Formats: sequence, structure tokens, C-alpha cells
Amino acid sequence: MVISKRVEFSASHICRSAQLTDAENERVYGPAANPLGHGHNYVVDVAVEGEPDPVTGMILDLKRLREILEDKVLSVYDHRLLNREVEPFETVVPTLENIAIDIWNRVAPHIGGRARLYSVKVFETSELSVDYRGEP
Amino acid sequence: MTVRLSKRYGFAASHRLHSPALTDEENRETYGKCNNPYGHGHNYEVELTVRGTVDPVTGRVVDLALLDDVAEKQFLAPFRHRNLNEEVPAFRTTVPTTENLGLEVDRRLREAWPGAFPKGGPCLEMVRIRETDRNICEISAKAEKAVLRAEEKPGT
Repeated sequence: MVISKRVEFSASHICRSAQLTDAENERVYGPAANPLGHGHNYVVDVAVEGEPDPVTGMILDLKRLREILEDKVLSVYDHRLLNREVEPFETVVPTLENIAIDIWNRVAPHIGGRARLYSVKVFETSELSVDYRGEP
Repeated sequence: MTVRLSKRYGFAASHRLHSPALTDEENRETYGKCNNPYGHGHNYEVELTVRGTVDPVTGRVVDLALLDDVAEKQFLAPFRHRNLNEEVPAFRTTVPTTENLGLEVDRRLREAWPGAFPKGGPCLEMVRIRETDRNICEISAKAEKAVLRAEEKPGT
């Protein structure tokens, strides 16, 4: 059984790789390569998997999940320039893919008991999302 | 790292649900209002989900410009503001239900996929087509069969 919680943050980023030329960056990332940055209202769906506790009827206390997300993700990401203010994006390009993987890495160690982190799905716009499930 | 990326596209088109294998009465019973001889239309939404590993240099699982391009060429341009029954060859012989429309989008994408990503690309994991908010069909690469989510009635 899977249950998910949605949280949101707003942040700016610049998608440019130091290993690519200016022309390659413009081609790969399009307008997202603007060196002055731009931002999104990100929406994050975090899903945990497990069987409900027979007493509480819950896989994981969603208040606790909310606290973990607030503490480990939102307080770090919200209203920040990701490239400058959030590890590891000084060296890793803050694409939607890398943001989903980083959020997974921040949250996974704190999910315990009956629950296992199942999926981190991040929406950059309503049209574009990335889902990471901890697969290598 | 393996991730899934989903991108949603839209087009508007008209269709009529009518099977030559059924009588007029059976067609009316099966398709209801969608059997109207003059046709009707929808704002369709198609969500494509691709799965692959993240390129360590670009941080991307797919070149979005190439994904947009294959979507535009394979189904957006051919279906946008068209009468599907009259103007898309596949629907001269099959009924353009949400299921068949999804299967046609899936078929066109799979045929064009190797040419669209010449340097290798992600795999197409799912095509999800939304005719209305209450009528959504998913074609998943694993199951290779369509799952219709119709809360009220089939193909409107």
C-alpha cells in the first residue's frame, strides 16, 4: 500500500553544465540556461510504502512525514537559489531529475518503522514532472 | 540513477464513435451521444512517461527538445484540429475511442522512437490519454494492454 503527501516550495535555478560549451548549454537546456537564473513553484509528492499499523491504521504518521519534509527539504530549498545555496548544486546541475534524486537522499534515511520511501515525484510545472524511486 | 520523466501535451480534435460491425441501433446503445452522426470534439491531453538513467553531464534523462519534436511530428501536428475519423488513416477502419486513440499514439511513437533518439534515449514507459477529466486511458509498456479509467461511461 502506498500513501503520498504533497508539499510545495519556490526556488530559482540555473541549468548550465561547466562541462558543456555555451552553445551546448543553450541547446540542451533552452531558456533554463539563462545565466541570471529563473524560478518555479515546485510541487513534491512524497510516497511511502508499507502496511498499516493494526492499532493506528497508519503506515506512517503523516504529521511526522510533514515534519521530516519541512525540516529536511522545505527549510533547505524554499526561496533559495539552488545553485548557490543548496548542496550539491554548486557542482551538480539542478535539473528536475537531480532535484528529485537529492530530495530522495535527504528524506530516505528518516523514514522508518513500517514505512519505506517509495517515490519522490517533483513537478516543475503542471506539464513536466520527474519521479525517482531510489533505483540505481 | 533511473528516473521517470512525464510530459503532458494537448491537442483538440473531433471524432464520431460508430462501428460498421454494429447496427445503427447497437451503435446508439453502445456509444450514446458519441454516436452523433455529425461528430463532436474534445481537448485531449496526452502524457508521455519515459524511463532511463540520468546523464551525468547534463543531469537529464531525456533531451526535451527531441521529446517535444517526436510528439509534435507523430501525433500533435497530425491530430491537432482534425476530424480523426476522416483525416487520420487508422480511424477509417478502427473506431477512435480513447483506447484506440491511445494505442495509435503509442504505435506511432514506438515506430519513430529509434530515429527520434539517434544517440540512444530513454524507453517509453507509458502513454496516458485524457479525453475528459473523467475518461482516461493508460497504455503501459510493461502490460502492453490498455487500462481504461472511465468513471461514468465508455468513450464520450
